[in-house]
Amino acid sequence: MPKYSEVLSEEGKTEIMLGNAAIARGLLEGGLQFASAYPGTPSTEITEALSYFASKKGVPYVEWSTNEKVALEAALGAAISGLKAFTGMKHVGLNVAADPFFSSAYLGVDGALVVVSADDPWMWSSQNEQDNRIYGLHAFVPVIEPRGVQEAKEAARLALEWSYALKRPFLFRITTRIAHSRAPITLGKINLEELKAEPRFRRDPSKWTLIPEFARRHRVELLRFWEEVKGELSDFPLNSVEGSGEIAVLASGIGYVYAKEAVKDLEIPVTLIGISTPVPLPDRVIEKALEHDKVIVIEEGEPVVEAQLREEAQKRGSKTEIFGKMDGTLRRYGELDLAEVREAIGRTYGMEVERPKVREVPKLPPRPPVLCPGCPYRSYFYALKRAVNKARVEPIYSGDIGCYSLGITPPFEVQDIIIDMGASIGAGGGMAQAFREDPKRLIIAIIGDSTFYHSGVTSLINVVYNQAPLLTIILDNYTTAMTGHQPHPGVGIGAGGRPAKEIDMESVVKGIGVEKVLVADAFSIKDSEEKTLEAIKYVIEQRKPAVVIAKGACSLVALAHARRKGIKVPQYYVEESKCTACGICYKAFNCPAIIKKEDGKAWIDPSLCVGCGQCEQICPFGAFVIKERVPEWDQLLRTAKPRW
Amino acid sequence: MKLNVVISGVGGQGLITLANIIAKASLKAGTPVVVAETHGLSQRGGTVIVHVRLGEVSAPLIPKGEGDLMLSMELIEALRYSDYLRGGATAIVNDYLLPPSLPDVQVPTRDEILKAMNGIKVVTVNATQRALELGNARVANIVLLGRALKEGVFEGFFGKEEVEEVLKEMWPKAYELNLKALNS
Repeated sequence: MPKYSEVLSEEGKTEIMLGNAAIARGLLEGGLQFASAYPGTPSTEITEALSYFASKKGVPYVEWSTNEKVALEAALGAAISGLKAFTGMKHVGLNVAADPFFSSAYLGVDGALVVVSADDPWMWSSQNEQDNRIYGLHAFVPVIEPRGVQEAKEAARLALEWSYALKRPFLFRITTRIAHSRAPITLGKINLEELKAEPRFRRDPSKWTLIPEFARRHRVELLRFWEEVKGELSDFPLNSVEGSGEIAVLASGIGYVYAKEAVKDLEIPVTLIGISTPVPLPDRVIEKALEHDKVIVIEEGEPVVEAQLREEAQKRGSKTEIFGKMDGTLRRYGELDLAEVREAIGRTYGMEVERPKVREVPKLPPRPPVLCPGCPYRSYFYALKRAVNKARVEPIYSGDIGCYSLGITPPFEVQDIIIDMGASIGAGGGMAQAFREDPKRLIIAIIGDSTFYHSGVTSLINVVYNQAPLLTIILDNYTTAMTGHQPHPGVGIGAGGRPAKEIDMESVVKGIGVEKVLVADAFSIKDSEEKTLEAIKYVIEQRKPAVVIAKGACSLVALAHARRKGIKVPQYYVEESKCTACGICYKAFNCPAIIKKEDGKAWIDPSLCVGCGQCEQICPFGAFVIKERVPEWDQLLRTAKPRW
Repeated sequence: MKLNVVISGVGGQGLITLANIIAKASLKAGTPVVVAETHGLSQRGGTVIVHVRLGEVSAPLIPKGEGDLMLSMELIEALRYSDYLRGGATAIVNDYLLPPSLPDVQVPTRDEILKAMNGIKVVTVNATQRALELGNARVANIVLLGRALKEGVFEGFFGKEEVEEVLKEMWPKAYELNLKALNS
């Protein structure tokens, strides 16, 4: 069963759906005609589900864009052309796309534009915690946030419809537990005819160009719109008032499902105001809340609703006491917790709520995510460390966002700084200039293929332009691996598997003007080590930038191909008599499939080994033996690209 | 009536799939369900917890100390998340110890882990071993689910028939294998 088949299911059926797939379905039910996005956890599956739908039905247009800024610009261009458009990204993606996002509020749209921001509180897969509803306040873009995964589909459909009706961009904010939760979703109708693009362009520079003269008028209009929309959002269908009591619980977005369950558990009479429209806070929501003696605000992320409510209470001279994150009633970091919400609401009501008793867990070794068995990054990192040792340089590894971030853990420890997408080369260039006069120091930027196209290219241009003595390693596994194997401009495949133009990486790097470019087989430790050593010597001696492109497919993609094609994946075993228990394989190389036995000898876990052949290259005693060689598999490991 | 199910293990062991099967079986049985998963960075061979909530619930996450049931695909990960369980909860645990992939890592033994789970009803299952005997390590999660059903932990929420229907719909070609795993 394909991963997103529910998106195609018929009207009236109820399916278990991932929140992101439900959002895709909601957008389709709302008549979506254009989608452009860059992958990023926890947002990726919205566009994956849309791609799947488009690959079966031919509509709507869906693309993976080079980065979030381009994705938002593309969707805005489509929306200016009268189309109903979506763009999606993780929270930090909106930082990349902030420039066109702010402009979109001034311009408005002729069709519809929904910008999905998937926030990741407690940073399950991110570098920071960021509540992007604040972007809505800052840019004057109304924000919709679904009240739990259960309403994700309806909220997405309504966001698109409201954007179309008001001719304004809308920000659709979700958090991890909406994006990556599953619940039963009842499906509505998709009208395929509506998904076909019917573009129009009403030429009017005073509307569509932001030169100062026109921008000033837009600014004044935008402020007027902001006041008006506070009234209109009061009627948003997914805002509700349940029960009544002396205290009100004002819950926004996913805060609603926590508040609802907490109130039910506590069995206390309160007014539960549940909203999907946190920004701007609608007039009638404010009025309703301030009718009460006390209001407690439940929301995930920053106190965005709470701050607006406090501001309004102050403006209106209200005596209502307000509780939330600004006064410490609730935690300001991390995700909401049912027990904590229960306790906070109880305390506001004047009731002591007992916390559940929590067992003590003895201290356990951590289990950080690791490079998969068969990952070409492992063999490359091993070769890189050897090359650095041989060259006798003191390296600083400028890291980046992707699977190679996992190189931070022992034994490799090849990520000394991690900042944001593309910063390995940007910040690495700055460090290389800072250490320019130190002949022993070598700055090594490590970046993946998708991240390189995302924003590494512009940084590399800067490095070449200013001739920073930086060694850049581009790990090319022909996919955006960390987010689940989306294609990118270097792959030759577009969203939904359609053919696309392949942008050749080596040509790009040479075209930028890098004079030393070497391409290595990442699965071959010898080849990778030799080429890396050559590049290191070049940077040290010439004080000029060099690039090594280390190529090898993601083993997960190769495995998927092998399963489909019926290619047998070989396995290695340990020849007991040859193993000397030296520990190189499980200490310095650290493949998850190689386990240290009690006697110190190695053992290969057959449920994990994928027969990549890396261990065979690192064992000085030839203790790793393959059961049967499969040349097709070796080929797949070097060439496999994501497919549909 | 509600049932808070903590699913734990190591990324790549089929934990999300297991949760998805439970969710689909619940839907067939008319039981409300919410599942909260771990994706992305946390998935690559790292520790994973999936929250499955059945019955009269609306929030996605189980608070610590309120889990009624655990399905764990690995021993260390069973102990790591045991603070999510209430006293007297049941844990169906794969009898499989996978040390974290770190150099010189010190891991507790199987017996130390089981001892530390005192106050919880632990049922151990040789799921990985059984799956390898069946010829495919990937069905270990189904072996574990089969054992949980035998223990009657899902009574009142969904039954074996619903699970069989889901397996047939999700993987028609592998149905025989999955059925063997479920019944082993």
